[in-house]
Amino acid sequence: MSRLEERYRFVLRLLPAAYRQEWEDDMVAAFLDSMDTGDSETTAYVTDYGRPSLSEVASIVSLAVRLRLGGADAPPRSYAWGQAVRLATLMAMLTHAVMVTASIAVTLWLSGKIAWLPALAPEWALIPSGSIWHTAWDLAGYAWLPAYIALVLGHRRVAQAVALLAVVPPAITTAVQQAGDVPLSVSPWAMLLIDVVLLLAMAAFHHGAPPVPRRPWLLALPVGILLVPVPLFTIQATTPALRLVDWPGLSCAAVTAAMVIHLAVRVSRRRPRTLPWSLALTLLAVATLALRTATLLDYSDQAQHTTLATIASVQAIAVLAVGVPVAVAAIRALRRLPSIPTVCPRPTTPS
Amino acid sequence: MTEPAFFILTALLDAPRHGYGIVAEVAELSRGRVQLKIGSLYGVLDRLVGDGLVELDREEAWQGRLRRYYRLTEQGRDALDAEAQRLAANARLASTRLRERRNLITGTPS
Repeated sequence: MSRLEERYRFVLRLLPAAYRQEWEDDMVAAFLDSMDTGDSETTAYVTDYGRPSLSEVASIVSLAVRLRLGGADAPPRSYAWGQAVRLATLMAMLTHAVMVTASIAVTLWLSGKIAWLPALAPEWALIPSGSIWHTAWDLAGYAWLPAYIALVLGHRRVAQAVALLAVVPPAITTAVQQAGDVPLSVSPWAMLLIDVVLLLAMAAFHHGAPPVPRRPWLLALPVGILLVPVPLFTIQATTPALRLVDWPGLSCAAVTAAMVIHLAVRVSRRRPRTLPWSLALTLLAVATLALRTATLLDYSDQAQHTTLATIASVQAIAVLAVGVPVAVAAIRALRRLPSIPTVCPRPTTPS
Repeated sequence: MTEPAFFILTALLDAPRHGYGIVAEVAELSRGRVQLKIGSLYGVLDRLVGDGLVELDREEAWQGRLRRYYRLTEQGRDALDAEAQRLAANARLASTRLRERRNLITGTPS
């Protein structure tokens, strides 16, 4: 086996085993044919030192995503994973969209633009940014709102491009700050990592995936704003003790609440088709726990570190207590699903 | 039917072809516009086989490797025919409208 073939077969390992069993050798033969330059010396050099091009690798990654996170015509297990990733992505994007939309209102309130709301304590007052570029840079996070709407409306590539605007500026800001005077911290990088995963997870909304039901997901935006950030900010502004609840803590609370509701719905309605939701909430619980654990490291040098660590531990325990039963139910249901292998072409007598 | 699927079926109309043979024929048919990557080819091919539009013709050993040749089924020919007619009808519609518009601007009676 040539080194080029070895490298190509390594990339093909991204594909599900059942698919590889049927198609791998044929794909390798076609790929090696495509690398044949016609000149024996050049071809020998390419097979020894060549690598699959980025576009070839991208085509395999795209196929792997379509096969592993399948649409309605995929085997049940692949479809369940596909739906789970799509639901988890939508929920995470919705959370971002809700928080940034609410923060626009909060920013207006803090800057005194909404006159009929009560004035806040001086410590909440906004410090105006130095320049218009600085302000624009800070506003990049608001791109999650159009990105979410684009995803719900079925424009996946637009959603990814717009979300990239929300991810890149904070990454640059964090890198520049931490390279300067600001002490190194894990939290911003952990959050950015989750955002990058979210960006990649949007690939699950491929052509074969069923369209997103628009009405409930668009309606969830105003409902979410009214239910979470508005009351939360009002409470935090009036009760100083609650300011200790940070973003990972809020995520833990939201995921725990969603899982409790999910378990209650499962028990009361005995609906058998809740597997994608169970899997999606499990994925979100894992991400939230990882975020909570990573951000705990930054509390060690803070004044209230004992209180903060205790609160964080309680949040993590709450996610685990509800998340484990949800995950167990999801894994059991997943194992019951058949994993149908792909169609295998067999030689037939020409008609 | 997607454009790559349309070209793959068209490439298999005259003779059974192996994987890279399909890629090369599609590039030639589309005058280099559709350059299928191997992952994209097999992503479409496994669907076409699953839908019964394409089937395996034979396997041949070549330079120590096994090449699989694929051919169009009767169902595949019908599907391609239906798609070609649909595209031709769409093209006719657009051409008629364009001609009418051109005549309107130049003042020539249609």
